[in-house]
Amino acid sequence: MTALTTNLPSMEASPFAPSESSTIDTKYKMIAENVTVSYGGIDAVKNVTMKFKEKSVTALIGPSGCGKTTFLRCLNRMHDMTKNAKVTGKVMIDDIDLYSKEIDPIYHRRKVGMVFQKPNPFPTMSIYDNVTAGLRLNGVRDKKILDEIVEDSLKMAYLWDEVKNDLKKSAIELSGGQQQRLCIARALAIQPEVLLMDEPASALDPIATQKIEETIIELKNDYTIIIVTHNMQQAIRVSDYTGFMYLGDLIEFRETKKLFTDPKDELTAKYVQGHFG
Amino acid sequence: MTRLIDPSLHKLSFIMSEMGDMVIESISLAIDSYLTGTNTKDKVLKLSDAIRAKYFEVEDLTFDMLLKYQPVADDFRLIRSSTEISYAFSRFGRYAYDITLVRDLFGDVSECTNASLIESTKKVKHMIKSAVLSFAELDVRKAVEIREDEKFIDRIYRERLPKLIESTNTRCALAEALLLRYLERIGDHAVFMSDAINYIVTGKHRPSEERIASHTKTEN
Amino acid sequence: MNSIQDRRQEYRSLFKQNVAKRLLVDKAVRIIVFLCVIIAIIPLGSILVEVFKNGLTAISIEFLTETPGSAGSGEGGIGPAIQGTLIIIGLSSIIGVPIGVMSGIFLSEYGDNALARFVRFFNDVFMEFPSIILGIFAFLIIVLVLGHFSVWAGAFALSLIMFPIVARTTEESLKMVPMTYREAGTALGLKKWVITFRIVISAAKSGMVTGILLSVSRIGGETAPLIMTILGSSQFFSSMDTPMDALPLRIWRLSLLPYDSAQLQGWGAALVLIIIILGINLGIRYYFMNKKNGLIGQLIKQRRNATK
Repeated sequence: MTALTTNLPSMEASPFAPSESSTIDTKYKMIAENVTVSYGGIDAVKNVTMKFKEKSVTALIGPSGCGKTTFLRCLNRMHDMTKNAKVTGKVMIDDIDLYSKEIDPIYHRRKVGMVFQKPNPFPTMSIYDNVTAGLRLNGVRDKKILDEIVEDSLKMAYLWDEVKNDLKKSAIELSGGQQQRLCIARALAIQPEVLLMDEPASALDPIATQKIEETIIELKNDYTIIIVTHNMQQAIRVSDYTGFMYLGDLIEFRETKKLFTDPKDELTAKYVQGHFG
Repeated sequence: MTRLIDPSLHKLSFIMSEMGDMVIESISLAIDSYLTGTNTKDKVLKLSDAIRAKYFEVEDLTFDMLLKYQPVADDFRLIRSSTEISYAFSRFGRYAYDITLVRDLFGDVSECTNASLIESTKKVKHMIKSAVLSFAELDVRKAVEIREDEKFIDRIYRERLPKLIESTNTRCALAEALLLRYLERIGDHAVFMSDAINYIVTGKHRPSEERIASHTKTEN
Repeated sequence: MNSIQDRRQEYRSLFKQNVAKRLLVDKAVRIIVFLCVIIAIIPLGSILVEVFKNGLTAISIEFLTETPGSAGSGEGGIGPAIQGTLIIIGLSSIIGVPIGVMSGIFLSEYGDNALARFVRFFNDVFMEFPSIILGIFAFLIIVLVLGHFSVWAGAFALSLIMFPIVARTTEESLKMVPMTYREAGTALGLKKWVITFRIVISAAKSGMVTGILLSVSRIGGETAPLIMTILGSSQFFSSMDTPMDALPLRIWRLSLLPYDSAQLQGWGAALVLIIIILGINLGIRYYFMNKKNGLIGQLIKQRRNATK
C-alpha cells in the first residue's frame, strides 16, 4: 500500500493532542484540560481536553444531551450559578487558570463573552443601555467612551445601520434576529477575547441565521469563538475546527473539513451522516 | 434507520453497476473485434451510447443529492467519486467504440497481432474487470493490481511506438498504433478510477495524479 | 387500500355529530358564567352605590378639614381621621415595605436552603394571622411597655400585617423574571447584587408594585389593631407618642352613636376612605402601566410585535 501514501499534502494538525508537535506556530488562546462536570453523581462531561486556537472558530456538535452546552458553560464558569454542579479540571486563558483559587471569577468572566440560545436583551432597557449594561453596571461612566463602544460593538454585530437613528428604543421592540445581534453587541462591549455562543441561531428564521453566520465569520478576525450548534451545515460553513461529543466524551476533534469529509471515528461518521441523533 | 438519502444512494449504486457490466462487455467485444476480426461496431456503439446516457443520469442524480441532502463523510466521498468513476466508464465505452472503428476501417487485422499486443489486451481486460469489481466491493487492494497493469501497458506503448515507426507494414503499424494509444488511455482512466475508489475508502485524494501527469509530459 | 379508508370513515363517524346541540350548550355555559360574575359583582356594586348615596351629602370642605364636634351635634368633620389614616399608612409602609421587599429578594434570589424554606413557611403562616392578634401583640410590647397609646405602636402593628404580603408578592414577581436574564448578567461579569437590583428588580417592578398596593389597601381598612394601639382621638396629629385618629376608627365610633347626624357623618367618612384607597391604587397603577417599563408593559409590546 506504499504507493498510496506518496504525494499527500500533510496538515494532519491535531490541536488537542499535546504531545504532537505542529509544524505551524500555534498560539492557543484557550485550553481546557481534563474538564469533568458532574451533577449529583452523574458525569455530564467526562475528562475533556480541548485547545482553541487564537482567532479561530471552533464548533461543538453532538446529539442532545451529549454535554456540549455543559462543557461550553465551563469555559466562563457559568456553573458557579448552578446548584449541585461539580467541575474539576483546568480552563486556561493565556496561561491563567480560570478555576484556580486565587482568581476572582468575575474578573475573568469579562474576558469571555457569552451569547445564549434564546435572545435575552434586558427587557427594561433601551438598545443603548443594553449594549452598555456590562460597562455601566461595572462602573464605567464616561459618556464619550460609552458612545464610542456602543457604535463599535453594534457595527461589529452588523446592527449599527439598522438602529443608529433610534438607540433609545426599547430593546424588546426589535425582531428576533436583531435582538440576537444586540446580545452579541452587548457581549462584545465588555471587550472580551473569547466569545462563547450557545446555538445562537437556533431560535431564528433562515435570513436572520444567515446574518448571524456572516457576523461570526467577520468576528473571527479579532476573536476566538467557540460555538455549540446542532446544525451541521452551519458548523461546516462557519468553523475551522469541530469537536464531536457523545454522552460526555469528546469523540473526535479535528479541522472541520476533515471531520466532515473523512471522520476517523466510526461514531462520528454515523452521527454526521444522520444514522442517529 | 432509513435516511432520506438512502433510496437515492441505492439508485446510484444500481446505475453504476449497470454501467460496470456494460463497460466490461463493450471492452471485451472491442478487443475481440481486433484480435479475431469480428465486426462488432454497431453493438459496441449501442453500448457506448447507453453508457453515456447513464453517465448523464449519474450526474443529475449526484447534483440532486447535493442539493437536497448536503451529504457529508462517507456519503459525500461516495457521491464525489461516483462522478469521476462514471466519467471514466463513459470514456471506456467511447474508447471501446474507437477500437471497433479500427477494425471497421482497416478491415480484418487479426494477422497483425503479436505477443505483446496479446499481453496488453489481456491486461486491459483484467484491469477493467478489477476496476469494476473494486468499485462494487470498495476494495482498495485491487487498486495495486490496476496500477501494475497500467504500468505494463504504458511500457509496451512506449516500447512499441518507436518500432512501429520503422515498420514496413503500414496497415498493421497504423492499426497497432491506434490500438496501443486507446489501450494506454484506458489504462490512465482506470488508474484515475482506482484513485477515486481509494478516496471513498481512505479519504486520501488523487495519490496517482503526480505520477500520471508526469509521463504525459515529453520524455527525454 | 379500501379497508384503511373504510376504517377511517368509521372513526370519523364516531365523532359527535350533534353540532347544533353543542353550540347551544356552549352558549348556555357562557351565559351561566356571565351570570355568576354578575352575582359576584352585585354585592360589591351595591355597597359602592349605598356608600355614595348615603355619604355624598355629608361631604363638604368643613367636613373634610374640621375636628369632630360634640357627639350628635351634626357639626364638625373628620379632618383628623383623614390625616391620621394617611400618616399611619405612610409610616407603616416605610417600615413594612423595605423589610418585605428585602425578604422577598432573599427568598427568591438566595433562597435555596433550609433557612429560606423556614422563612417562607413562617411567612405564609403569618399572612393568615388574625389582625386583632397582631394588634394585641403590638399593645403588649409597645403600649404597655411605654405606658401609653402611640402612633409608633399603630405603625408597628400595621407593618406586621404588611410585610408578609409584600414579601410574598415580591418573591413571586422576582421568580417570574426568566432565569436567562440573570444568566446574561452573570456572563457579563456582573456581581450578583448588581444583577438582582439593577436588572431583575426593574423587570419585576410591575408585579412588586401590585403587591405593595395590595398590602396598602389591606391596612387602609384595618380597624382592630388600631383600636389597641392608636386608640383614636378628636384632635389633629400632635406627636408620635400620643394617640391619633384614623378613618376606620372614626367610622366605627360614628356608627355606634344613636344620632342620625352621626350616622350621616359615618357614611361620609366611609366614602372618603374608599375614595382614598381607590385613588392610591388606580393612581400608582396608571403611572406604572404607562411608564413602559416593567415586564408587563414589555410583554404587551412583544405580543404586539409578534403579530405585526
